[in-house]
Amino acid sequence: MSTAANGNELLVVEDLKKHFPITRGIVFQKEIATVKAVDGVSFSLREGETLGIVGESGCGKSTLVRCILKLLEPSGGRILFQGRDITGLSRRDMRPLRRNMMMVFQDPYASLNARKRVGFIIGEALELHGIGTPAERKRRVQELLEVVGLNPEHYNRFPHEFSGGQRQRIGVARALAVNPKLIFCDEPVSALDVSVQAQILNLLKDLQKEFGLTYVFIAHDLNVVRHISDRVMVMYLGKSVELADRGELYAHPKHPYTGALLSAVPVPNPDVGRARKLVVLEGDVPNPINPPSACNFHPRCPRFQQGRCDVDTPPLAPIADDHLVACHYPLERWPMSIAEQPAAVQPVESAG
Amino acid sequence: MSEPLLDVRDLRTEFKTDDGIVKAVDGVSFKVEPGQVLGIVGESGSGKSVTCLTVMGLNDSKFATSTGEVLFRGEDLLKASSSRLRTIRGDEIAMIFQDPMTSLNPVHKIGRQLAEAVVLHNDVSNKQAYARALELLKAVGIPRAERRIDDYPHQFSGGMRQRVMIAMALINNPDLIIADEPTTALDVTTQAQILALLKRIQDDFGSAVIMITHDLGVVAETADDVIVMYAARIVERGPVRSIFNEPRHPYTWGLMGSLPRLDTDLERLYQIPGQPPSLLNPPSGCRFHPRCAFAMPICRQQDPRLMAVGSDTLHEQACHLDEATKAREAAKLVAMFTAGASSS
Repeated sequence: MSTAANGNELLVVEDLKKHFPITRGIVFQKEIATVKAVDGVSFSLREGETLGIVGESGCGKSTLVRCILKLLEPSGGRILFQGRDITGLSRRDMRPLRRNMMMVFQDPYASLNARKRVGFIIGEALELHGIGTPAERKRRVQELLEVVGLNPEHYNRFPHEFSGGQRQRIGVARALAVNPKLIFCDEPVSALDVSVQAQILNLLKDLQKEFGLTYVFIAHDLNVVRHISDRVMVMYLGKSVELADRGELYAHPKHPYTGALLSAVPVPNPDVGRARKLVVLEGDVPNPINPPSACNFHPRCPRFQQGRCDVDTPPLAPIADDHLVACHYPLERWPMSIAEQPAAVQPVESAG
Repeated sequence: MSEPLLDVRDLRTEFKTDDGIVKAVDGVSFKVEPGQVLGIVGESGSGKSVTCLTVMGLNDSKFATSTGEVLFRGEDLLKASSSRLRTIRGDEIAMIFQDPMTSLNPVHKIGRQLAEAVVLHNDVSNKQAYARALELLKAVGIPRAERRIDDYPHQFSGGMRQRVMIAMALINNPDLIIADEPTTALDVTTQAQILALLKRIQDDFGSAVIMITHDLGVVAETADDVIVMYAARIVERGPVRSIFNEPRHPYTWGLMGSLPRLDTDLERLYQIPGQPPSLLNPPSGCRFHPRCAFAMPICRQQDPRLMAVGSDTLHEQACHLDEATKAREAAKLVAMFTAGASSS
């Protein structure tokens, strides 16, 4: 990969792997298979940008982020944060670095401790990192509540006194508490209503501008990812299949999987939505214990060529400036207008 | 067709809670014609699910009271006995629930659950019921249906389970299918599969569908008519093209503007300020006024009635704003989307 750090990168991930063993037996455990949840993902992240990661459930998006944060121990590859290799760091050595990498979780109900007051939830990270006196911390928490658009007087309330959108704001305030450089957002808006979702997305954008934050934004909703991201990575079965600038990826997707994902998004316009032809992908994401050979996507791919796609693994290679794709037969063009139907892509018959 | 399949008139449903009475549905009327797809959109708590549960008679009678009329082929379901409702449910009216994992019984095989629905409503043998179950599993596109019929729900993926739910809903050829957020829990690709399936099945069986969702994209692609609900009431309704091309209620504008979409590039999304109101104590007058950018003094006092938009009697909205302003604002919003679509 040509992602070698040139100094500006905040985060560089090289060939990251996370394999979970499946064992059998109680006393003598024998490894019978592995789930390759993340299988050789590389990308780099510039300061102040937002990288969106999309893919269906089970493609390894969340595992990838958990590995980068070292919540899970990676099985292989390297993670460089601000030029420093953090792959092998112990938990203790990792702790001071965690100030710089925070996370916003998906479920605003499950991710806040129901028995603690909001002030404690937001201020806990400050306390753990030994920042400020209790009075200063309280001031900081109130300031954070205000930054995320909540009433600072609500410092002493419990999470159940807030609505879903407000809870997600608390989650954002908690992530901001220690002035991190990088925030991982794992499906932060998928549990919210559209109107509340818009509020949180706008808030995240405003905060990014104000504090120069860098985001890694995971979502399965392509509209949301397009709205917030500068660059987008598409994952399928633990691998990155396409990585490009936002505009480039959505206007000229090259990987057939990206094309299928894009065409599956419902269009909130009855005149356009009903006229377009869908590239309906048949079947489900294959079982990661026994993934298809070579290109993982080949059994569902409309452009599958026998003897090539199921034999030869396509590398993630540049196809244009800042546009990487892992496909032997990338799409030549992508129709955006109704007039131009996806002639190159026909629905597959079926796949069991 | 002169007589509608389902005619809901002034439906009101109240729940007794410890904090007081919640009016979850407050004066909702609508009709569903045979073979029609009606989309109901709105945020959580706007009363869309309760409306449909009331139609099915599934509210807990200990806490819920409903008034109004739910006429299904002229018969008032609110007054029907529970045994009569049982014969209608699953036979003439079927429901598809949001979460296929919790709606299927985990300890029974798929085939048995499907066959049960057949045996309950028809005078057939178990063998015939199984044959019917298999036929439906094939119709909804379950691969190797002969083998999968003896599987348990946990052996199916989310999309497959939703197909089983659809098969179950269709098994007695219902005239009306109520689908409550049928694709919300699914990935986009699976959602596309399920929507295509629903469409095909609706074409084949001619069933009417009430599609409850918060996703405007899904509504735009599937519905013939759309109802927009806010705080237990209908704020706007009309044919799908009128709603999307000439929306007339500020809440509908807000919903459309707050949606990130592939065909437009906005730096910031439009956001509706605040939260949906509590139905224990809803705002006076127009319930949307505390969050509305166009609120006027009259909005606080007087509740707007659903009125036809100009001469278009099919398109109705409930807003005090004058027609000229509404036409201008709607045109601005729609222009924004179409401009984005042509530039990308």
